[in-house]
Amino acid sequence: MNNSQDLPLKNDIAARFLPLIIGLMVYVGTLCFVFTLFILSATHLWENQLRTQITLEVPASPGASSAPLQAQVLQVLSKTPGIQQASAVPKKEVETLLQSLLGTTLPVDLQFLPVLIEVSLNGREPIDIPMLEARLKIISPQIQLIDHRPWQVQVSSLINASVVLASTLTFLVLLTALVTTTFATRTSLLIHRQVVEVLHLIGATNEYIAKQFQVHALKQGLIASAIGAAFAFLTFIGIAALLEKAGLPSTSLSSFSIQAFCVFALSPFVTGGFMMLSARLTVMRGLRP
Amino acid sequence: MSDFIAQFVGVGHQYKKGAEIFKGATFNIEPGSFHFLTGPSGSGKSSLLKMLYLGLKPTWGSIRLFGEDPLTMKPSLLPLLRQQVGVVFQEFKLLDHLKVIDNVSLPLRVRGIEAKRSYRDARELLNWVGLGDSLQAYPATLSGGQQQRVAIARAVITRPQLLLADEPTGNVDDDMAIKLLHLFEELNKMGTAIVIATHNQRLLERSPYPHLTIRRGTIIRTPKRSKP
Repeated sequence: MNNSQDLPLKNDIAARFLPLIIGLMVYVGTLCFVFTLFILSATHLWENQLRTQITLEVPASPGASSAPLQAQVLQVLSKTPGIQQASAVPKKEVETLLQSLLGTTLPVDLQFLPVLIEVSLNGREPIDIPMLEARLKIISPQIQLIDHRPWQVQVSSLINASVVLASTLTFLVLLTALVTTTFATRTSLLIHRQVVEVLHLIGATNEYIAKQFQVHALKQGLIASAIGAAFAFLTFIGIAALLEKAGLPSTSLSSFSIQAFCVFALSPFVTGGFMMLSARLTVMRGLRP
Repeated sequence: MSDFIAQFVGVGHQYKKGAEIFKGATFNIEPGSFHFLTGPSGSGKSSLLKMLYLGLKPTWGSIRLFGEDPLTMKPSLLPLLRQQVGVVFQEFKLLDHLKVIDNVSLPLRVRGIEAKRSYRDARELLNWVGLGDSLQAYPATLSGGQQQRVAIARAVITRPQLLLADEPTGNVDDDMAIKLLHLFEELNKMGTAIVIATHNQRLLERSPYPHLTIRRGTIIRTPKRSKP
């Protein structure tokens, strides 16, 4: 038995380039979308930390212990509303941090470095930063309060702008794929108008004719976008490996990979579905008297 | 519901370039009737058939098909009217990319009949018209006469209420013409109204059916004769 289509769409010259374009669009689109998600996921955690943390630098006095000063500062902090926890960063940790930045050969005398106090905000109550700073300055005018939130807002805006840009790019890629499908379908309809006329004359409804186009578009969309998504996935794996090599924590990347895999796995179905819909609407509009 | 399959009242058509083919054609086609449509070349036989299968709109006058006015009905309902009409086109209009069996089973598939039954019916019909060994052939590889038989098989496979045939015996020998006429008569016995446009004098002479003759833009109905 022959299950061939009633319209010879497979051999259509007009639509021959379509799978290539769709594959390419899906490749670019999914990569864009996945990296948008990746930026969002990576920055979300980081933003949370910045939003709920401030840092204090308590000056070290050479030859004298900074412990009493620290104790006074911690006492002020414990009485300040909006603060969840405050603790000094251990000297060993500061040493490791400095060594990772400056190298092990550079002699650093830790006793001259200020003590860092990390303060976690509870996020539920507002904290009056100028008031806290004023109270700390009474203890010692050299105490520095570093509030990360003002520049975090700027960085957030920058990230949001990149996300909007990447999302727009993804949307444009999808739109281009749809417009290309529309034009290819319209051309195909024109090429096969005689076959369409015969189908009409033997009683075919517009829906029956549209179904031929939409099934073809769905098949093309699924195959082309599966290939595009597979290549995009391989590219993503490659870039992720490079990022890991560059020092990005592998845990965040591996947890994100599941999301990315879902995007790559779903993109052929989404693209195929949109192409099918686009083909159907184009044919139904084209056949309208 | 109308008693007629088709009713033409004062129908006329004028092509854009100016040629007027009817002045006011008025006739009816009753259920189960059999008519030959005759007239000189260029008189408008094919145009009249086109109007009957809704391939051409009249310039004036009114048409009713199966009791419906196709000119005012919703376009989405037109396929339902067309599904009751089988057409054998003069130029066959077979789909070259489909095999013979696919061409013949197409009207059934279009009506949503399952493929297995469609192919079984198509095979039976093609065997009957002598094309049982060309099921998997493409129309382009067949002779004119064979293509005509495929076109006829495609038109009759749905057992339409109205069968229109434009010169259906134009490309076949006399024996095959008689055999095809017999097929049309069998279909007619089952209740299908038949309108055959033809020039075939032998066919016209040996058949008792009434003629619709187009002469000078009007249609003259010649009554049924007794069988010779």
